[in-house]
Amino acid sequence: MIWLIRLRDALAATLSYLWSGWGAVASLLLFCALWEYGAHVYGDLVLPGPVATFRQLTHMFDSGQALPELLVSARRALYGLGLALATGTLLGLIAGRSLTAAMFSRPLATLLLGMPPIAWLVLAMLWFGMGDGTVVFTVLVACFPIVFLGAMQGARTLDNKLKDVARAYRLPRRMLLSDVYLPHLASYLFPAWITALGTSWKVVVMAELLTTVDGVGAALAVSRAQLDTATSLGWIVAVLGLLLALEYLFLEPIKRRVERWRTETA
Amino acid sequence: MSALHIRHLYHRYGITEVLANVGLDLYAGEILALVGPSGCGKSTLLHIVAGLLTPSEILVQSDFRGIACVFQEPRLMPWKTAADNIALGLKALGVPRDARRRQAIALGRRLGLGRDDLDKYPHELSGGMQSRVSLARALAISPDLLLLDEPFSALDIGLKAELYHLLELQVRQQGTAVLMITHDLMEAVRLADRILLMAPDPGRLVREFALDRPQETRDNLWVYQTTAELLQVEEVRINFGLSEGTLPPPPPNEHARHAGCTV
Repeated sequence: MIWLIRLRDALAATLSYLWSGWGAVASLLLFCALWEYGAHVYGDLVLPGPVATFRQLTHMFDSGQALPELLVSARRALYGLGLALATGTLLGLIAGRSLTAAMFSRPLATLLLGMPPIAWLVLAMLWFGMGDGTVVFTVLVACFPIVFLGAMQGARTLDNKLKDVARAYRLPRRMLLSDVYLPHLASYLFPAWITALGTSWKVVVMAELLTTVDGVGAALAVSRAQLDTATSLGWIVAVLGLLLALEYLFLEPIKRRVERWRTETA
Repeated sequence: MSALHIRHLYHRYGITEVLANVGLDLYAGEILALVGPSGCGKSTLLHIVAGLLTPSEILVQSDFRGIACVFQEPRLMPWKTAADNIALGLKALGVPRDARRRQAIALGRRLGLGRDDLDKYPHELSGGMQSRVSLARALAISPDLLLLDEPFSALDIGLKAELYHLLELQVRQQGTAVLMITHDLMEAVRLADRILLMAPDPGRLVREFALDRPQETRDNLWVYQTTAELLQVEEVRINFGLSEGTLPPPPPNEHARHAGCTV
């Protein structure tokens, strides 16, 4: 019985979530309208309109040109991102537990955050050559400080009063983690993870453009050389679409589920 | 009979002495109220008994095993439903999920929390409801020593009376010992078997008042009269700033270093 109610609630939540997407769709369509207007003003060579771009994108998928490149880029982005999430979260938590470690590592993280990814890329090319390693490394160093700072902030801001409650009720160590630390941390980690996801894609395309012979970035370089604006825009739209899908269909629902204690029930 | 005995309790934050030579006894089935102005070290004393603070010096003997603490604010985990918050201590004791949920619901009902209230998150509950959950969390582990840090100070009169009644029931039926902090003298007179008067700078015990009348026969008139009488006592007046004067300093510690002396 209680499971039926849970299922019904979950279904209702999903539907209301999808329904709330109309606002986002409207704003995207408005953007397309502006884009179309720009295409009329500047002409097809400089700025192909959304219709022309999507036609080109469909063609790229149909001819089997797009999917392999996207998969290559996705693999590199996810490797780098995965490494950054694992190391950043772990080290951030450790740093957040101690005031000294936090004071010590904060300027370093800010430094890393401020360092342009292109500079890392140059160094990585010198260190790792022109291959996967360079791209993955650049994604890792670009995403790491974002995740690290988020995790550290989360670990630092846990209310001492709640820690006292945990001690007064003699919570074992494992429960301290699962019932006190992690739920609090999730609300700091998720925004950081979402930002890191966006960064990973941006960096991957940039790195590929300069270093590799396959992947979306390399394909962009080719289309640029051929002055093929429609194909370039097609690639950009493909990457953005993938990013939007990952964030709104995957991460956002998880975030809502984990943080349902925050949302006010109507 | 379980009991807690504390002697020669000193606590310092840096060089400021917050507690000086405090000693008290507490027996099962007894309500002991600590009364005093803000900053006299009441909360520090309670935190020491709860094991949240390690004092600079203490001689202590305690047979109490299950200690539960109700804090001044409800301090609920915002990511847990009311029922899960009540069951927190049970979970720490390793009680299986179904059993602790059943206990939480039963206890919630005793404290006037409905089934749908128990599935709500703390931010969806009113302040009064949160206080009930906080008290239920403490009672859930069937403590033999209950520590209360002004848990009723932010509640309305009706709710206070209700929770007083619950507390008396708990003490009478389970023989729980209660150490409660309050700066409401009337609350202390209504509930306590003994009242300990604390003074600040440094935090120390000044006087003890025993109230012999059983709780269930204490009507409003008696509570008002007794409170009024207490307020005529010189030490109480001075301590709460109603009269001029000074209170005696803490008694000197005869055992500068106690080596093996028994309580």
